[in-house]
Amino acid sequence: MTRPGPLLTVRGLSVRFLMPGGRRIAAVTDARFEVAPGECLALIGESGCGKSVLASALLGLLPANTETAGSARLGDLDLLTAGERTLARTVRGRRIGLIPQSPAAHLTPLRTVRSQLEETLAELTGVRGRAALREAAERAAQRAAFPPDHLDRHPHQLSGGLAQRAATALALAGDPPLLLADEPTTGLDRPLVERTVDELRRHIEADRDRALLMITHDLAAAERIADRVAVMYAGRIVELADAAAFFGTPGPRHPYSRGLLDALPDRAFTPIPGLPPELGDLPAGCAFAPRCPRADTSCTELPPLAGSVACHHPVRPPVPAATPENARA
Amino acid sequence: MADTTAGAVWRPHGTARRSTHTLRLRVSAALMGVTVLAVLLVPPLAQLDQQAVDLAAKLQPPTWAHPFGTDDVGRDLLLRCVYGLRVSLLVGVVAALTATVIGTAVGATAGALGGRTDRAVMRLVDAVASVPHLLLGVFIVAMFRPGVWPVVISVALTHWLSTARIVRAEILSLRSRPCIDAAVSGGASRWRVAVRHLLPGVLPQAGLAAVLMVPHAMWHESALSFLGLGLPTHTASLGTLIQTARGSLLAGDWWPTLFPGLFLVVPTLAVAGLAGVWRERINPRRRSELML
Amino acid sequence: MGRLVARRALHAVPVLLVVTFGVFAVAAASPFDPVKAYAGTAALGADQETLDRLRENLGVDRPFTARWWDWLTGAVTGDLGHSAVMRQPVAEVIGERLVWSTLLCAVAFTAAVLLGTLLGVLAARRPGSPTDRTVTSLAYTLEAAPVFWIALLAIWLFALKLDVLPAGGLTDTASEQVTAQQVLRHVLLPAGVLAVSQLPWFTLYVRQGVGDALAEDPVRGARARGLAERTVLLGHALRSGLLPVLTLIGSRVPELITGALLVETVFSWPGIAAATVTAATAVDFPLLAALTTLATAAVLAGNLLADLLYGLTDPRVKLSEM
Repeated sequence: MTRPGPLLTVRGLSVRFLMPGGRRIAAVTDARFEVAPGECLALIGESGCGKSVLASALLGLLPANTETAGSARLGDLDLLTAGERTLARTVRGRRIGLIPQSPAAHLTPLRTVRSQLEETLAELTGVRGRAALREAAERAAQRAAFPPDHLDRHPHQLSGGLAQRAATALALAGDPPLLLADEPTTGLDRPLVERTVDELRRHIEADRDRALLMITHDLAAAERIADRVAVMYAGRIVELADAAAFFGTPGPRHPYSRGLLDALPDRAFTPIPGLPPELGDLPAGCAFAPRCPRADTSCTELPPLAGSVACHHPVRPPVPAATPENARA
Repeated sequence: MADTTAGAVWRPHGTARRSTHTLRLRVSAALMGVTVLAVLLVPPLAQLDQQAVDLAAKLQPPTWAHPFGTDDVGRDLLLRCVYGLRVSLLVGVVAALTATVIGTAVGATAGALGGRTDRAVMRLVDAVASVPHLLLGVFIVAMFRPGVWPVVISVALTHWLSTARIVRAEILSLRSRPCIDAAVSGGASRWRVAVRHLLPGVLPQAGLAAVLMVPHAMWHESALSFLGLGLPTHTASLGTLIQTARGSLLAGDWWPTLFPGLFLVVPTLAVAGLAGVWRERINPRRRSELML
Repeated sequence: MGRLVARRALHAVPVLLVVTFGVFAVAAASPFDPVKAYAGTAALGADQETLDRLRENLGVDRPFTARWWDWLTGAVTGDLGHSAVMRQPVAEVIGERLVWSTLLCAVAFTAAVLLGTLLGVLAARRPGSPTDRTVTSLAYTLEAAPVFWIALLAIWLFALKLDVLPAGGLTDTASEQVTAQQVLRHVLLPAGVLAVSQLPWFTLYVRQGVGDALAEDPVRGARARGLAERTVLLGHALRSGLLPVLTLIGSRVPELITGALLVETVFSWPGIAAATVTAATAVDFPLLAALTTLATAAVLAGNLLADLLYGLTDPRVKLSEM
């Protein structure tokens, strides 16, 4: 049985910032991944590795001093070359639903949640009339498990979890096939984190044509709901793997991914020595080499993303399994 | 840094805004230059006396002989405007300096002494600030009878407030610096600390405030003169010129009104523009435009 | 809210006391002589004894603090003295003229706020665009121009050259009664000039506020949701960007009064601001003192309004905590 084609295909996506004085900061370099319908891809990395920039690039929400290269195909549309009008009218909210980081900060403080939800519904679904909008808003809120009696609150009155659900309700308003969750677990306690990501997972399981791209630094959350995992370091994707193989056996292949898992409290609890490099000051070869226990002279050359890992000395799995992405590549 | 994206086609995202910084600098500097030139050079070079009355040539629109036209008794308006600008500038500068001295003294006292003095002084400042500038100015001039010094005092007494606040704020922030603690623990008296350590730190801010105040002082004086409460007509400032132009305006002669006003607008724009550029330079993130 | 108002009213009392005290102090320090002012030209020929008796009768031989207190107690009961130049009780002068000044200021202020908001939004939409540059340059230039100069040029243009609007006064010179239609026609030019003088501040502040809001997270969120750019601009950026302007509106009362002083004089508008100038020229102290106090009270009311607006419009702020 052939699987349907991927929803989102990203090839060679690069974003760089032009700073005053001519300096360039390569926030994202040569990103390559796909998101297939019905699956959850977790984009993992530490803070400052460029994950949120990638999300902004997909929606055309980058600031004015940026340049992009590569392609991000959503169906027949290249998101990076589509103009602002196309993105505003056909993509945002309609084909990609963004659940932003700090959801309460992404709502206008002077307006109630209800008014902003109704406004979004009116724009995206064409519902008209006060009564119909009111009803639609309550239904949309319930879809994201947001209590309807809190709809008349203002954003600053919402707790972290409620704000997250409000943002989810807004993202789902237009029924977009691809959900983009940017750090959905920041600031939530463990039980709430688990509940939040479970709810996100439920949204794509209810409708097998939907997909979820979750950007996070919370590996436990990723382990809980991801089907596939992409690891990002210093603006580059360094590993693409099946979640089961990544979190279980044989484990991740890239030394950095290994280090990330080893740093978890319920595993080895050993942090990776050193700090990630500044995005404006990247070395010529592999950016992880200074911190890598397996580095040698060949690491002065940048390793390409070959197979599913960008490393000159990936950890060889004990049994080379026919991993799905090898078959697909 | 190796550019591994060699061969990648870079597309700009969004339109980068060209900074208006240099344009504003150039325009403001040009306006300022024109003002300075007018004030310094024109009178010695001009052959005509600004008081030369020539009734035969009265109320002529701008011509080559009289680039700004003539006023109601035939005097060349360009010369009158230049002299008027000098008078306005002189009054404005003196008034601004006086206001700065008063404001610095009050603000420094409040900031340096602190406690109840500070609170009382700030209450006083708030009270005076509640009276509209021009109204207070009109009142003072009315009580003291129009003349040069009442006008200067009127302007000074209404404009010292902002300087006082700025100086006080600066002193409060300077006070918390370690060098002041060192001076005090070294045995310096409060007075000595204030004069030798705090005041020099305050002078740049006070100086800037004084410069920025000059256009405002000029405006205030012009308004008073326009209302007939300002300078006597023989030392005509730009405001007086506009007042005397009212009569001819209703007869349709626009130039005696237009040009004196332009001579007020140009220096104001120049000072504001240069000040904005300078503020942006020392503090790029601040909203320099909004110090209205 | 009631507590805020009460607290502010309480703060206003010492301010008014200080201001009125200052007014009497300035008068005492000045060469102003109430006796000569009262007697007018007759004082020139009178001998010293008559003047002294007059001084005693008027009660001006007492120290100014006592006179100040008398005036205060009188003012609280509504007796503000007698205006020599208007030949009326001061309270009557104010009563007759206040409504015209209020009309002028209200029309001008509303126009300035509306037009300023519109221009500010247009400029902030596309920063650095020709629209933005034009609006900003115009705003700065208008700000630098004295309002009485603009008023005169406006009269020349609209009343003389184009002959579409009257050059001054409340009603046409020929008419005998005040009709609404005439008043409306006559208020257009002075209110327009006053509005134009207040406009730059609003334009620049709205432009700043909306421009800032467009760069912040709430607008990013609104855009990400797929809202049309116009909805984002008006329903989100403008709402957030107007808040600082709204809270500062009350602080514009001093500038409004200053502008009214000059505009009413140029257009011979029968308001209290014009009366102030007349009082100043004739050195009519009772009228001047009353008008200064009234203006101060207006400024304080404006500040209170600003705080109230802030508390009412920003849901993050609780009035009870202000």
